[in-house]
Amino acid sequence: MGNTEYIKPKNLNDLLNNKKETEGRGAVIAGGTNLIPQMQEKIKSPEFLIDVCDLQELSQIKEENGMISIGAGTTIADIASSDIINVKSPILASAARQLGNPLVRNRATIGGNLADASPAADTAPPLLALEAFLFLESEGGGQREVPLEQFFTGPNQTVMKANEVMTRICFSEPEHPLNGGYIKLGLRKAMAISVVSVAVMLDVEEGICRKARIALGSVAPKPVRAYGVEKNLEGKELNRDVIEASANKVTKDISPISDIRASAKYRQHTSSVLLKRAILEARDRGKK
Amino acid sequence: MKKYPMHINLNGEWVEMEADAGETLLQTLRNKLDAVEVKNGCGKGDCGACTVILNGNPVNACLTLALQADGKEVVTIKGIGSVQNPHPIQKSFVEKGAIQCGFCTAGHVLSAKVLLDKNPEPTRDDITEAISGNLCRCTGYTKIVEAIEDSVLEAQSGRE
Amino acid sequence: MSGNTGNSSRPDYQYIGKPVPRHDAWDKVFGTTKYAEDFSMPGQLHGKVLRAKFPAANIVSIDTSEAEKNPGVKAIMTAKDVPNNETVTRFGQTRAVGGFEGLYRVLAYKKIRYKGEGVAIIAAETPEIAEEAAGLVRVEYEPLAGVFDPIEAMKPGAYQVGESESNVICSYKVRKGDVKEGFAGSDVIVENTFRVPHVEHAFIEPESGIAWVDENGVINIRVCTQVIEHFRGIADVLGVPHNQVRVIAPMLGGGFGSKEDITVETYLALLAGKTGKPVKMTYSREESIIVTSKRHPYRMTYKAGVTREGRLQALEVKLVSDAGGHIYLSPWVLLYSTVMATGPYNIPNVKVDAHTVLTNNTFSSANRGFGGPQVCFAYESMMDELANNLGLSPLDLRKRNYLHKGDALSNGRILDYGVETEQTAVRALEALGGPSKPSSAYEKVGRGFASGMLSYGRIMYLHDTSRSYVSVELDGSVVIKCGVQDLGGGQASSLASITAEILGVPMEDIKVYFGDTAFTPLAGTTTATRQMFMSGNATLKAAKAVRENLKKKVAEMLEANPEDLEFKNKKIHVKGDPDNAVTLREAVGACASDGVPVYDVAQFNAPFADTIDFETGQGQVWPDFTFGSIAAEVEVDIETGKVNVLKLVSCFDVGQAINSLSAEGQLEGGAVYGLGYGLMEEVILDKGITMTPSFSEYLIPTAMDVPQIKTIMVESGDGAGPFGAKGIGEPSCVPTAPAVANAVCDAIGARIYDLPLTPEKILKALGKLEP
Repeated sequence: MGNTEYIKPKNLNDLLNNKKETEGRGAVIAGGTNLIPQMQEKIKSPEFLIDVCDLQELSQIKEENGMISIGAGTTIADIASSDIINVKSPILASAARQLGNPLVRNRATIGGNLADASPAADTAPPLLALEAFLFLESEGGGQREVPLEQFFTGPNQTVMKANEVMTRICFSEPEHPLNGGYIKLGLRKAMAISVVSVAVMLDVEEGICRKARIALGSVAPKPVRAYGVEKNLEGKELNRDVIEASANKVTKDISPISDIRASAKYRQHTSSVLLKRAILEARDRGKK
Repeated sequence: MKKYPMHINLNGEWVEMEADAGETLLQTLRNKLDAVEVKNGCGKGDCGACTVILNGNPVNACLTLALQADGKEVVTIKGIGSVQNPHPIQKSFVEKGAIQCGFCTAGHVLSAKVLLDKNPEPTRDDITEAISGNLCRCTGYTKIVEAIEDSVLEAQSGRE
Repeated sequence: MSGNTGNSSRPDYQYIGKPVPRHDAWDKVFGTTKYAEDFSMPGQLHGKVLRAKFPAANIVSIDTSEAEKNPGVKAIMTAKDVPNNETVTRFGQTRAVGGFEGLYRVLAYKKIRYKGEGVAIIAAETPEIAEEAAGLVRVEYEPLAGVFDPIEAMKPGAYQVGESESNVICSYKVRKGDVKEGFAGSDVIVENTFRVPHVEHAFIEPESGIAWVDENGVINIRVCTQVIEHFRGIADVLGVPHNQVRVIAPMLGGGFGSKEDITVETYLALLAGKTGKPVKMTYSREESIIVTSKRHPYRMTYKAGVTREGRLQALEVKLVSDAGGHIYLSPWVLLYSTVMATGPYNIPNVKVDAHTVLTNNTFSSANRGFGGPQVCFAYESMMDELANNLGLSPLDLRKRNYLHKGDALSNGRILDYGVETEQTAVRALEALGGPSKPSSAYEKVGRGFASGMLSYGRIMYLHDTSRSYVSVELDGSVVIKCGVQDLGGGQASSLASITAEILGVPMEDIKVYFGDTAFTPLAGTTTATRQMFMSGNATLKAAKAVRENLKKKVAEMLEANPEDLEFKNKKIHVKGDPDNAVTLREAVGACASDGVPVYDVAQFNAPFADTIDFETGQGQVWPDFTFGSIAAEVEVDIETGKVNVLKLVSCFDVGQAINSLSAEGQLEGGAVYGLGYGLMEEVILDKGITMTPSFSEYLIPTAMDVPQIKTIMVESGDGAGPFGAKGIGEPSCVPTAPAVANAVCDAIGARIYDLPLTPEKILKALGKLEP
């Protein structure tokens, strides 16, 4: 921490400039719930801390022309309690409500959760199932749009360049927002890093699955989509047999490891269990 | 090391100080402002012993940069009640026997206070969720939950 | 939630047994209580320990020269700088007993025995400089193979952790009857091997302290400790007379046994002595988890035989505990497990063989329950399995075998105080109420219970004593001075309750000074669930002596018989005539002017005994035991293995609650301490390296993981403590893990023999995951 300098940009333009001027030696800090412990343990030692925690521009939840846009600096608590999110994407609200604990949720931001790129990032599976994309901006480089799936490249690795800043996360408003399911399995009921988490969004017409978007956390080097399962479901009648058979195929979409929380085998097994439940939940909630 | 001037409203009073960029609010409160009622239990946001109310929301002081609190209101356990005028939750914690070693008490009381400020009629699940970032190793939480429930009832009977 | 039953002949107490807010609660709720780390001094330095990088290694060289170049560094000490770095202890803090010796080192010398062992200590102007200096000390290691499994460590030719010829620290035996005959006479025999893990105490206050040399040359140490009487050991290390070291224990943020061993205090004394300046040091949470004591992991083999009618005939037990890199309290913990291996049951033929073994893991020592929770998991799992095999209900089988008052333990010890185990089991089960319905098709509800026992008070051949001082001031306020350490369990406040009852003064008029070797009479350790029993009795004795003196004087003043006087509401009056009274203040005034003492220092001696017969285990080990039961209802997700605890009831015979709020609090807290043990807690070590060094990896229950606990206090009035109280601090945590394990087994129809009951183990037990 020795000679770290502190910068507090007043607006997005300042932030982009600061990021450029510090040339990769500066870290953006919002909630700080990941970065501060990493700094204390000297895993990261940025020369500049660029504080965005009070940047209003980055912390808005908007709904425009069928698009939901969430500022990267929006806190998890604000997402959990947002009417827009609860109505338009309940699976994201549900993931936000189960992240960490209330104290952490009051500081942690959605941008930070994604930028940290933990395979267990709680907001990633629902956002992948919502086919979210994010906006990365840089001074001189303008703005680029990256599908969330392409954003993660590995554990704590992303495509974000040193001069870039994540500004927003967007997704199309689902036609049937209720046709979703999210389940997190942790080793206790609060303050738990997920052992497996699954998120499901479905389009169902007259019992037939038109479209399925499924993602999982903590079962691969990064949060992943379960394309195999999606393909298996699409075009089929969503009966129990189809759902079970499809969910069992998830093992081909994932590559879990064994760690202190669970073995790879346990993750394989519970991934299909949770997926089956989440698909049922998504199907049945939408029936009304 | 570069120092940055800052000021916070600590328990109703504006105080000025200097902080390093990487300094946490917990370090500032304990080492510079003698607010040692804010406890250091883990330094990583895993226990909640350092809970303070920052602009109305309970947060871990160890996961907040001091400079991120610049210009803001910080409330510690000393800011919500005193011997002369205890907060109803404080009273209830004492009377219900919700305090053993006391190291986590401030965090629980502050988390509960914000819960009741926002939700005057919480369920048991609301209460356990609100204090789920505050670890306690002594009480088994039973009397803590009862104390919070009790202060809700007291507040309700006061309103009627 | 709580309920209790009284002994019908119970006296009508004014304060005892009432739900009185503790005297220390207000300070804590306002944030004014100062814990160890909250205390600073002008000019203080900051201490830091440089710790071994390997669990097993030879130290080839240590070079501190680079680190010493920073002018902010005021002292660096290694083993060669410590006046008496090695202490050889014959076990027993006050009395040398036992057939083995413990070697302790303040700082590692030549051979590293576990990862994180202290290699050097540093004092510097700021914590940052101290940390930087630690990084600049060059230590050359020669890593060694090490041994990490106690079973491996017992084998001939195994890697030697220390310098002795065997890794086996000590062994205990119990021999009663003939187990061969017992098994021959049994209709059903069950044999299982159980494993329990390393457990972290996880108090929320990390180890911390500050030391300074005062104007008289005395080294003062203010530290969060369960044992201020370590001042003697610290003085021995420093090579100064015992009266030159003073230890003060402020209110602790929990201890649970890990602050029983020395943590920061010797380091602080050495650094303060060397620099002449105050030195402060606090362990990080990671340091606390990696290097301080853990609860012993055990491997336990149990073989039990029972008749068709459900009478236990024989029990054969083999215990091996992992002591880790240093001995510490491992022999004592093992003795507890050995003698209590049979649980609260009457078994005619018993054979126990127990060993505690050095490995290169983090050292193990005291942890709430002190060897009791480990064996309780085994014997209570066995009881359910036997019942299942016999087609008896778990309660019926236990009822046929519970020990009762007057029965003998397997080591011949006659239980001469209350034994209400059966009542606690029946009532705990009753209080579970009607069964809950599963919340879904893939969840199954199950119920179980477990009974347990644990001694309170220290081992009798240690000849335990405690002292306490009680006086009344001229204004009628009361002072207690007692060297107890208050860990948060109300150890100081309960002394106020006792004195309030005897002198008839409200709690708020009593001030308790505690935990200071220079100014409070020494009261022994706050360990072994002994303070209520020992210091409670000492305080009771002192308060009664003061009351006797007051009685004599007041009898003169009121022209009454001293035996007819009653102490109530700060007044002393003649029984049946409340108006014929003087105030306590007037009485004290009269005593003072006539030279009658209104203070007393009393010593309480526990019953003493000789050492046990080490070949048979026969003899007296503890003054008394606390018995109780915990019942649980759980819901198990049979597809993921997750366990949700729906109900938890704790019922204990507390003898007599001194403060019912505090006693319930102990039962609730203990139940949840055991719940963590049952379901989620495990310090995972991989070849001596801690893989769970923070609270995000080492999980303890949050408020969301715990149901509202129902407590039932049975008050037999038949304990060795004041007013018939029994100790409950540690016993309260003993039966939860097996209660939950039995409930899980009831739900899923399969038993798990290893703690904690992780979702993964449950799926394996269900055959849904390859083992």
